[in-house]
Amino acid sequence: MSNEVEILLVDDSPEDVELTIRALRRSKIANEIQIAEDGAEALDFLFCRGSHGDRTFSHPPKLVLLDLKLPKIDGLEVLRAMRADERTRAIPVVILTSSKEQKDVIKGYNLGVNAFVQKPVDFEQFGEAIRQIGMFWMLINQSPPRGAFAESKAQGA
Amino acid sequence: MNNRAILLGTMTSSSKAIAACALLIVVCIGALSFWSEVRNEDDREWVTHTLLVVEKLQAIRIDITQSETGQRGYLLTGREEYLEPYQAGLDLVRRDMQVLRDMTSDNPREQKAILRLGPLIAARLAELSGGIEARKESGLLAGVEAVAYGNTGGKWMGRIGAEIGEMSETERRLLNSRLDAATASTRKMKVVIVCGNALAILILLVKGFVIQRETGRRNLAEQKLKHANDRLERSTAELSETNIELESFAYSVAHDLRAPLRHIAGFSNVLAEDYGPQLDGEGRRCLGKLADGAQKMGRLVDDLLSLSKVGRQELSLGAVLLDSLLRQAVEELAPECSGREIQWRIGDLFSAECDPGLMKQVFVNLMSNAIKYTGKRKHAVIEVGQTMLNGERVVFVRDNGAGFEMQYVGKLFGVFQRLHKAGDFEGTGVGLAIVQRIIRKHGGRIWAEAELDRGATFFFTLGTPEISPASEPNFTIKQEVMHV
Repeated sequence: MSNEVEILLVDDSPEDVELTIRALRRSKIANEIQIAEDGAEALDFLFCRGSHGDRTFSHPPKLVLLDLKLPKIDGLEVLRAMRADERTRAIPVVILTSSKEQKDVIKGYNLGVNAFVQKPVDFEQFGEAIRQIGMFWMLINQSPPRGAFAESKAQGA
Repeated sequence: MNNRAILLGTMTSSSKAIAACALLIVVCIGALSFWSEVRNEDDREWVTHTLLVVEKLQAIRIDITQSETGQRGYLLTGREEYLEPYQAGLDLVRRDMQVLRDMTSDNPREQKAILRLGPLIAARLAELSGGIEARKESGLLAGVEAVAYGNTGGKWMGRIGAEIGEMSETERRLLNSRLDAATASTRKMKVVIVCGNALAILILLVKGFVIQRETGRRNLAEQKLKHANDRLERSTAELSETNIELESFAYSVAHDLRAPLRHIAGFSNVLAEDYGPQLDGEGRRCLGKLADGAQKMGRLVDDLLSLSKVGRQELSLGAVLLDSLLRQAVEELAPECSGREIQWRIGDLFSAECDPGLMKQVFVNLMSNAIKYTGKRKHAVIEVGQTMLNGERVVFVRDNGAGFEMQYVGKLFGVFQRLHKAGDFEGTGVGLAIVQRIIRKHGGRIWAEAELDRGATFFFTLGTPEISPASEPNFTIKQEVMHV
């Protein structure tokens, strides 16, 4: 079970990815982190297709950390596709982005995001935000039972 | 607003005078026509009158002749039946004379003529009567003698005829002269009416032409005005579009700056954590400066983002109790007050129509400034309340802090403008710019009064209508001392 992906981190900035992973590791929260550098790759992973064809829906990530500005398919589209399919609908998604523009916040919640967090510039605050997010969704929050949504009769995405 | 209606409504005084002139002429002509008609009627009456008088004069002559015929018959025959026509003639003479007198009662000249005629007729009638008396008393011969002797009948009748003829002639002459005068005046009247009407029509035509030309000019002016308005509207639209673009630009620049800043801050932290021990003091100091700089710039960018957000944000107006906004703002500022002794004097505020979120930010920013600039006071006093200035309700925020020199007041609300050294008081110089933007968005004004080292007071008005005056119009002090 140790190699089961716990967090899918969708971010196109390698620096942000590095800093996020560092913050998560420092808090000793998640060991298995999958990186997706654009929306298309994130959807491939979530829907077990393409280079992730060997995955199954019965082992979804416990949390998706989703940036909004992404190459190919942007974050809100990824979210929309996830919420449209019963097999991915229940996966907790936290938008983690530079923007806190109101219309993005509203769109995010309309599409059913679980939380919306702006990345703080200050690294202490950034680390603290990541730590709290990880703590809550990995440890405090009760995840959906494994496989509960895997066999639903959704029309694949 | 309809410009046309306004233009047409304000007729020039000269054009009013012209219209009044035409109207006056038409009225005069109407009056003249009426007067002329009345006079024509008079003239017609005069003609009738004259003809009646002439006819009556002739009738009197015939009456006398009838009496005379009766008398002659009696004189010759002595038969009483001849006295009947005689008597009837007498009666007729008397009656006709009376009618004539009545008819001419208002004409002294005719009355005079009648006075002359009266005795002549009386004399003739007396003669006739004398003949009859003689025949009655002394028989046929005496009667004939009476006629023959005093055969003055012809003389009297001649004079009567002459008098009547003269009177008739006078009447006719008078009538003719009157008719001539009436004809002449009617002719003159016709000329006046024709000329007057022609003049009135001419004036109205000229007036109409002038109005048409003026209307044309007005239409042209209106059109020009409309074009100018259109241009202005286009420029305004362009300007606001440019403003929006500028705001979006500022926003995206600020936004895109955040990511690299986060990386600078993040990796300097990584460096400090992972390689700190390997660095010497100077290395660590430089690293600290790097992190500080990134942090400061982060704050600037965030403030700039807030400012641009206020600029782009649409006001969502609602009825707001400023009192409760103020309370919320004070609560929000509690962390900034920790470890400070601040005496709050909060007065009653009115309710107004405004954007509650933005107005709260106004209070937060102003009071946060007050807290910051009283930082070096042992006993800080911050006062918030309302007052009336020139009939306008004004909210004020006063502190006993560092204040500033009034000569720099013009820079107070500028973006990134600061009146204090960063070493004395921290800040980015955006807070008051945001406050000013919010107040201006509401259509209000903001200004400040201060004295260096004696504190500052910020005043603002709201352009939006206030909903109800506070129950207590005077400034009351609710004291609330915060010891944290």
